[in-house]
Amino acid sequence: MDTTTVLFVGAPLAGIAIALADVPDPVFAQAMVGPGAAVDPERGPLTVVSPIAGTLVKLKPHAFVVAGTDGRGVLVHLGIDTVNLDGAGFDLLAAEGARLSAGTPVVRWNPAEIEARGLSPVCPVIALDATAVAVCSVAAGAIEPGRTLFQWVARA
Amino acid sequence: MPERIVTVASRVGLHARPAAVFVKAASAAAVPVTIAKQGKDPVSARSILAVLGLDVRQGDQVVIAADGAGAEHTLDELAALLSADLEG
Repeated sequence: MDTTTVLFVGAPLAGIAIALADVPDPVFAQAMVGPGAAVDPERGPLTVVSPIAGTLVKLKPHAFVVAGTDGRGVLVHLGIDTVNLDGAGFDLLAAEGARLSAGTPVVRWNPAEIEARGLSPVCPVIALDATAVAVCSVAAGAIEPGRTLFQWVARA
Repeated sequence: MPERIVTVASRVGLHARPAAVFVKAASAAAVPVTIAKQGKDPVSARSILAVLGLDVRQGDQVVIAADGAGAEHTLDELAALLSADLEG
């Protein structure tokens, strides 16, 4: 029997929810990494939290992946081309392999500093291995951390 | 099973952009492809979650493998991708 399960993917930080298509990076904007949404963050020191409950399967300073118990993984990418910063400006608050609740702090950073270095601080939030139609009810406008950024529908 | 050992060229390793390009190509192949770090368990090359989880860095050697009709050709194409800098 098919049951459809919805994963509520929360905003990982405060800012303005924008469409993935408006992310200033063609790979994310064209959903090559996967479908999802993005947050244009507030400028100032911000704590980034886990968008879902699960395991922190990958933690880089500028990006992390949380996989839920059903195996669905969500990528949070902090800014565009921020890999080139080699971790400068990112304080890690969790350890790879940790079990997280939705809303558990993972990284602290300051998007204003990223912007001052000439990089976009926009944060894509990606449903990994999802089809485009699996992502729906995408938020728009001002959003607080933990509020639903989009819903991820999957057949389980 | 046919396989190729490839040194990953992209400066950031197999992360966002290079990983997406690689997984897209592997997903388009007619045969299932696996990718592994040398000596480690292989994962599906069609899963961006699995590929990101490998945490492949620039200069790391990976083993890609596939079986079935067209496997050799598919592996040659994917090996060429991994050997190129996909950052551009």
